[in-house]
Amino acid sequence: MAVAEPYVPDPLGPARRFFRSPQSGPRLSGSLRSSLRDTNRAAWYAGGLFTALTVLAVAGPALAPHSPLVPAGAAFTPPGHGGFLLGSDSIGRDELSRVLYGIRTSWFSALGVIASGVLIGGLVGLLAGAAGGWLDEVLMRLTDAFLALPGPVLAIAVVAALGPSLLHTLVAVGIVWWPFYARIVRGEVRSLAARPHLEAARLSGASRWSLMTRHLLPGAAPAIVVTASLDVGNLILTLAGLSFLGLGSPAPAPELGAMAARNLSYLLQSWWVPIMPAIAIFMLAFLSNMTGDFLRDALRDT
Amino acid sequence: MIRVRPAGGAGRSLCTAALPATNGRAATGPVVGKVTDDHPNTRRTPTVTVGSGSLAAPRQRTGPVASVKDLSVTFRRNGRNLQALRGVTLDISSGEVLALVGESGSGKSVLGLTLLGLHPQKTTTIAGHVEVCGQDVTAAKPDTWRRLRRSSLGAVFQDPMTSLNPTMRIGRQIAEVAGSRAEGVRLLNAAGIPDAERRLASFPHELSGGLRQRVMLAMAIAGSPRLVIADEPTTALDVTVQAQILRLLRGLRDDLGMAILFITHDLGVASQLADRIAVLYGGRIMELGPASEILDAPAHPYTAGLLRSRLTLSTARQGPVGTLPGEPPDPTTPPAGCPFADRCALVLDRCNSEIPTPSTWTKSHDVACWRTGGVVGQEQGHATPWVDPAPAPGLAILLHDVAKSFKVRRGLRSQRIWSLRGVDLEIAPGEVVALVGESGSGKSTLLRAIAGLLEIDRGSIELGMTGSPQMVFQDAGASLTPWLSVATLLKERLAGSNAPAAGREERARAALRAVGLPQEVAAAKPRELSGGQRQRVALARAIVVPPPVLLCDEPTSALDVSLAATILNLVGQLRRDLSMAVLFVTHDLAVARVVADRVAIMYLGRIVEIGPVDEVVDRPRHPYTAALLASVPEPGRTLDAARGEPASPLDIPTGCAFEPRCDHASDACLTSDPVLELAGPPTVDPVRLAHKAACLHRLGSDLARAAGREAGREESR
Repeated sequence: MAVAEPYVPDPLGPARRFFRSPQSGPRLSGSLRSSLRDTNRAAWYAGGLFTALTVLAVAGPALAPHSPLVPAGAAFTPPGHGGFLLGSDSIGRDELSRVLYGIRTSWFSALGVIASGVLIGGLVGLLAGAAGGWLDEVLMRLTDAFLALPGPVLAIAVVAALGPSLLHTLVAVGIVWWPFYARIVRGEVRSLAARPHLEAARLSGASRWSLMTRHLLPGAAPAIVVTASLDVGNLILTLAGLSFLGLGSPAPAPELGAMAARNLSYLLQSWWVPIMPAIAIFMLAFLSNMTGDFLRDALRDT
Repeated sequence: MIRVRPAGGAGRSLCTAALPATNGRAATGPVVGKVTDDHPNTRRTPTVTVGSGSLAAPRQRTGPVASVKDLSVTFRRNGRNLQALRGVTLDISSGEVLALVGESGSGKSVLGLTLLGLHPQKTTTIAGHVEVCGQDVTAAKPDTWRRLRRSSLGAVFQDPMTSLNPTMRIGRQIAEVAGSRAEGVRLLNAAGIPDAERRLASFPHELSGGLRQRVMLAMAIAGSPRLVIADEPTTALDVTVQAQILRLLRGLRDDLGMAILFITHDLGVASQLADRIAVLYGGRIMELGPASEILDAPAHPYTAGLLRSRLTLSTARQGPVGTLPGEPPDPTTPPAGCPFADRCALVLDRCNSEIPTPSTWTKSHDVACWRTGGVVGQEQGHATPWVDPAPAPGLAILLHDVAKSFKVRRGLRSQRIWSLRGVDLEIAPGEVVALVGESGSGKSTLLRAIAGLLEIDRGSIELGMTGSPQMVFQDAGASLTPWLSVATLLKERLAGSNAPAAGREERARAALRAVGLPQEVAAAKPRELSGGQRQRVALARAIVVPPPVLLCDEPTSALDVSLAATILNLVGQLRRDLSMAVLFVTHDLAVARVVADRVAIMYLGRIVEIGPVDEVVDRPRHPYTAALLASVPEPGRTLDAARGEPASPLDIPTGCAFEPRCDHASDACLTSDPVLELAGPPTVDPVRLAHKAACLHRLGSDLARAAGREAGREESR
């Protein structure tokens, strides 16, 4: 039994929670004020990480010391030499600049697909969950059909039909991405719809639209936000994988997955050329997952 | 699992009586071989096996079985220290029933868990001295606790569904604590489970709530514990079943001689069982003494207030009922003085600065109050009677033959269960009708059907006046949209009834005033409010546009006694101010009596008796009403519970649905299905107010006496 001591906030708390396995025990549901304090801390970390990544993506071109497309020096310069912080690639382009541009592409592509998924999936899920009955049945079977489409194969088909372009890949991924959100939103909405607060709102004379948007949707928001933020890392990896397969922007556009793929043959003599973009992918996925985890902590108690 | 026994315990018989140990203390009972003499008081004692079927003989009642001295328990929750108990001193003697009474947050369950050693070690600070079965366990290791729980302690909690393992059959669970299957069966029999052998194969979800609680009790008494901790064991049960469980607990105590720490929020329940009562408030014992003394002549203003706000079948109902204003202190910032000071009508200057030390009131009756002169003269004067508005013509609600069924799937088959089986009811404007029944009687279904939240299968529901009915739910927290502020919810109701946009702000404020809430509440979200405040907000939303009909679904059953009384007074005030008809669903006849003009008793989807409150409560005509009344726990009353539990709506008996539980049933009851017929004075005006019962032998009538004679004759044969 511990001795009572004054409470000192633990700045590493969220990180500790992040590294703790989910089985290590339920968190005590605490009293309101302190959970808010905890919640606020996690929300700050999540917001900070998200902002940092977005700033990095927006400011990438300004930070890049060289053009990502034009050679700026000797080929295969190791990191830290010849003014190349991360070295240069097979034709002397600056790795740092290419990675910065690549991060920008990956980050915004991922956010775009997520946004479309949340929008389409959220709408379908909300309609299905709130209406129930046959509409629910129809919309959910439609969702299942889309869920059955294999993402990469669809991407190959789309690119084959419309030509290689990042946009085409994103469209293909977007088509298979929204059903996840439809399912999540529908599940949340259906469980919320069974709560007495919805009946009370109905008796209050709230309109159908208001029931859906004011009394159901906000309750599903935490689940959507958490899933979406955890999904960013997932999506960055998927897109990197697709561009690794040559299904992204055509060369010479700087794309992290493609950079790793095309330079894989230099792994033994100039490791930094394929490894630097790979590290960037890893960092991006890791940090966005962390963002998601902080968000989950922040929204758990609401 | 509450109690884990090693495999070595197999074959250990319950039927052992321990001989008194040499130290004058009752022995700890039969101990498993593993437990050796590492603790001086846990000694192996010679045991005597009694013939099968009977339980252990009562133990000698000497010495405390558990004692705590100056116990403080502090939890750390999300960085804040919650002081659940603050200096509690208490002894539980062998074989006594000590009731620990308090409102939610008083720390009563914490004390129970402390005696079981079930607090999470990392986040709990325990200061003081705890002794269980003569062993100092203040800083005991988990292993010591396990041994103690196994050999000397038992526990029963409020919700048997969560205390039993849902994936294991009853037989395996009971065998685990009893040691063997045969022992398990004997324990189940001792706990009054009919057909125990067959029940071994059941899963917990296949049993009714009452049976589940009996299983928990059987597990708690396995191995003849010296102390059983029962934490609100009857709170989740219907009144008739509660009365049965209370009787069972008393019987088990008498047979086995164990001590029981009975934790409850209800002084009435405590009165049925307790030898002594400890009243807990704000983590401190306010009063501790013999049950009869505490109930008849409370020495502490808090106990007096609790007793006053407790509704009974004889509470004066002409005006608002007595209340205990205010709310308990926040356990994170306990007051420097008496925790009850800011709610106390007799407060002294000293009370706010100094914590009162327990002083002896009479022999074996301690009270922690600076006013050692007691609480005489504290009685509130008679409340001003209600002024009833003039009756309005017409009807607010007219129900005719309302029936509702639900489809349930049982395995592959789907089946219809009839939740309402033909309900007729008329309610006049401004009239309050209470709908009373046990779980499964269909009372909530009827309410939701009237609200228009359910489609009915048959019959008609007519609402006499314009305006939609409004409803107040049992769980006020769940009925308020969590992410919307109180003001938003109130204005939404105004918008929903097309109130002019200009005055909405002012009307919302007026509604909050009407339910006695400060204006700051308008900006709050539901979770920032206390339970009582939430129920007031729910009421404010229901009446911000005065509805012709207010439907209340057990709005007070989740609240503490003192809060419940204020909410009932509020409903009484509002319905008179706004001339609303109210249909008030409750399982508690005492509540119904206070709040309603008429009461309708429901059983398995039908109204079995209806009439003016005083008529029905004083002269019940239906045996079921009589059984409900006889099960209401009140000080100084011996409970006489109906046998059995409500039949499942899945399998409604033919003939009179109550026949299987009825003491007055005759052969005719097996076949004929009685309808509501006049049971009171023959001429009543208006007819609506007549006292009716659906029973062939309406109690108190000549028919009932004849039936009683017949039954008596048959029994003697």
